Amino acid sequence: MKKPNNHKRGKVSKSIVFSIVFLVLGFILAYSYSLSQSDDGSDNFTANSQFEKEESFREELIEQQERNKTLREEMLAKQEALQEFESAFSAGQEDYSEIATEAEKLRRYVGLMPVEGEGLKVILEDGEYGTQAVNPNEYIVHESHVFQVIHEMYISGAEAVAINGQRIHSNSTIVCTGPVIEVDGIQHPAPFTIEAIGKPDVLAASLELPGGVLDQLVNDNVVVTMAEGLEITMPALLSES
Amino acid sequence: MWLSILGLILGVSLGLLTDIRIPPEYANYLSIAVLAALDTLFGGIRAHLQQVYDDKVFVSGFFFNILLAAGLAFLGVHLGVDLYLAAIFAFGVRLFQNIAVIRRILISKWSDKKEVRESV
Repeated sequence: MKKPNNHKRGKVSKSIVFSIVFLVLGFILAYSYSLSQSDDGSDNFTANSQFEKEESFREELIEQQERNKTLREEMLAKQEALQEFESAFSAGQEDYSEIATEAEKLRRYVGLMPVEGEGLKVILEDGEYGTQAVNPNEYIVHESHVFQVIHEMYISGAEAVAINGQRIHSNSTIVCTGPVIEVDGIQHPAPFTIEAIGKPDVLAASLELPGGVLDQLVNDNVVVTMAEGLEITMPALLSES
Repeated sequence: MWLSILGLILGVSLGLLTDIRIPPEYANYLSIAVLAALDTLFGGIRAHLQQVYDDKVFVSGFFFNILLAAGLAFLGVHLGVDLYLAAIFAFGVRLFQNIAVIRRILISKWSDKKEVRESV
């Protein structure tokens, strides 16, 4: 009597334990199932971010490819234009050499390349300080004198002009600052050596015109030394500063 | 028997109906708990078929394995070591072994029955 009773109680407690176990099992299974179902949509954080990253990289790639495409098209157009140019060159060889010499000349004027050639060299020195005049301004070289010389040189066909070895270009500034002059911000003391490349005899003649620059300079007590027919070399404008 | 099936149904419905959202990083623990539960369940079936089944071992193993697996995974996440891989590996291997043993026992039982029937 006791044994079956005990057995029965054991069976009941056993089935209760089993029911709890299966409850837990079922709960875990169902819960993880529902969780994974909902995760498939949007909740899966790592996979989602990875997907986004991939997407952004793909977009970047597409962008780059499009850019490459446009660049390639541009290159093709440029090449076509180049071919056209080349065919034009072969058609007019003489024109080309003419244009090249003109470009050379223009570069010389602009000052983009070092130049070398025959020219004229003018040295302006302060006059000797005399006792009869009180004002020393009457004995020193002013920037206006330099201007006069340079303008005269340009007018008479100078291709390149330099002051104390510094190249002058179309936008150069020459400022008088006391006893020195500033050419493009660089100070130069007297004496000033102004070099010009061009036809030496023409340059010299234009300076020596009666009542011209030379006479005026001498009138202003400036000591002028001219040397023509020298081989002059000048640096390019860009190499300085 | 009916009580345990009732429990299973109750558990499944409870799991499907709960709307508690847990952070995605804890989903790992749940998957390991599922694995541990399945492993223990099949271990119990195997033990029953081998006539070495013990209630206490089964129930304690069921809950303890679940907790241990989840705890191991938790520890691994916090230590920066993928310890949940160890749990998955261990439970997975054991799960397959258990299922293989069950299969073999069932097949041998079935063939024994057949032989008995044929001999009769």
